[in-house]
Amino acid sequence: MGHVSLRNVRLAIGARTLIENIDLDVLPGELIAIVGPNGVGKSTLLRAIAGFDAIASGEIAIDGVAVRTLSGRDRSRAIALATGDADHVYGARVRDVVAAGRFSYRAWWDWTESDDDRKATLVALERVDLAALADRRFESLSSGERQRVWLALALAQDARVVLLDEPTAHLDPRYALDVLCLMRGIARDTTTAFVVLHDLNEAAMIADRVAVFGNGRLLAFAPPGIALDPEILENAYGVAFDRVVVDGAVRVLPRGYRAASIPTGI
Amino acid sequence: MIARWSALAALVACACTLGVFVGSSALAPAEVVAALLHPRATSDAATIVWTLRVPRVLGAAFVGAALAMSGVLLQGLLRNPLVDPFLTGVSAGAGAAIAIAVAVGAAAPLIPGIGFAAGLATALFVAFLARRGAGLDAERLILAGVSLSALFGAIVTLVLVRLGRGGGDAVLAWLAGSLANRGYAELFTTVPYAVVGIVCAALAVPSLNAMRLGATVARAVGVDVVRTQWLVLAAATLLAAAAVALAGIVGFVGLIVPHVARRLVGTDARASLCASALLGAALVPLADALARTVARPTEVPLGVVLAFVGVPTFLYLYTKSGGGARLWGT
Repeated sequence: MGHVSLRNVRLAIGARTLIENIDLDVLPGELIAIVGPNGVGKSTLLRAIAGFDAIASGEIAIDGVAVRTLSGRDRSRAIALATGDADHVYGARVRDVVAAGRFSYRAWWDWTESDDDRKATLVALERVDLAALADRRFESLSSGERQRVWLALALAQDARVVLLDEPTAHLDPRYALDVLCLMRGIARDTTTAFVVLHDLNEAAMIADRVAVFGNGRLLAFAPPGIALDPEILENAYGVAFDRVVVDGAVRVLPRGYRAASIPTGI
Repeated sequence: MIARWSALAALVACACTLGVFVGSSALAPAEVVAALLHPRATSDAATIVWTLRVPRVLGAAFVGAALAMSGVLLQGLLRNPLVDPFLTGVSAGAGAAIAIAVAVGAAAPLIPGIGFAAGLATALFVAFLARRGAGLDAERLILAGVSLSALFGAIVTLVLVRLGRGGGDAVLAWLAGSLANRGYAELFTTVPYAVVGIVCAALAVPSLNAMRLGATVARAVGVDVVRTQWLVLAAATLLAAAAVALAGIVGFVGLIVPHVARRLVGTDARASLCASALLGAALVPLADALARTVARPTEVPLGVVLAFVGVPTFLYLYTKSGGGARLWGT
């Protein structure tokens, strides 16, 4: 399964409301891109879906079960959150990092991994094409390889919902494409994926639907061709966009500075 | 890997054996062997070996293992390689309480218990100051521990000054760390607390291992971060307090041994805990053997020997390869 629903959700930090009236119904196997300006609350939304932080009001449910009622253990079997911001991972091998995804499949005080855990770890490593680097130390990897490790960790959790926070940040186009293809592969049948992206064209390329946030609300939730509308995007980002179609695929480009607005005489 | 574990176990065995064979009274190796083979003999050698040396070596191994485990647990929990077991104020609280107890003339047998209780109370207070929500804040814990330690250090200094020349000897003996005249009775009253600590540590270690990846990732994979924090803190505190109650303040072991252990077996919390315990159980009996013999018939304080021998070794290890930039490295 992997049916995710958000009903009238309001996200707040302290007394400050970030986003309100979020209503989303996501079907099993869908890949949802979350876009919007910096600070709008995209990462907060991911953490809320993951059950990390309590929401101010509303209800988030996975397959009909409210996330807030799940124990930490059940939650991590249902939802995998890959934030990829743990840059201080010292001395751990790639295999160790991915094996952490199996934590909730055994008793919390159990020191030993089962054969199932080892197998799931290997399968996850193979799916992101890192099996050859399994014994390398995490800190010796490139940014692109690290992102794939976090993906593998999420896969090892065998969760129905995978949440990824900016998995293509700091990646060159080739590595970014690798990661995007992997994400497209992850979201299928029973695994639903949410991914926060800054590059709108990456969203257009892989997402089934795009959720555009801006001005404290959900501005659009639709397939890329509809959601990535210049008017909606200008409303979200405060910048004018042009939409072009290249080989049948939608591309949006910020219009950039008008010649007149560039200071002269520098 | 198996070779490394065997080598570590052999090291502990060698260190403890050496500790039984040397001491302030010069016994021939043959006499020691004879005494070991005939525990019920009434010779002087048997008395020295069985009532002085054996409990002392066991105590040294216990103190080393406890402090090293305490250190590796706290370093792992706070993700800070510069943390030592006394960060939580265990030693400073115990030191201040012992100094005051000596000054007011408390009976000697009460001193270890007073130190233990004061150490635990201080750690509890530090943890109380470091609370954030239901859990602990690493930076606040370090700040509170360092501040309270400074305050209790000042109390010790004040007491020493007030006691005047000669009066502070008993206090100094505790502050420098020593295993002189520790028998089975002292061992039996301190080891149970450490055993509770080890049980807490064993329960928390799988979670601690996942917390290597940071608290966010740990939570995402289902770790109860709050429970882990309290269990690890309880384990580290009980282990350190038990060691202090037995041998006073033995510095350096809890800071340095975890580094060497991680070099040998990696940063996996399970492996580094076991390796730290073994290394500590080898290092302190060795240092204690030196402390008893270099200036025979007097003893050099254990902490002094550990610092003189251990610090250069440690610096050599770290400047030889990689350097400080890879304090967590293997």
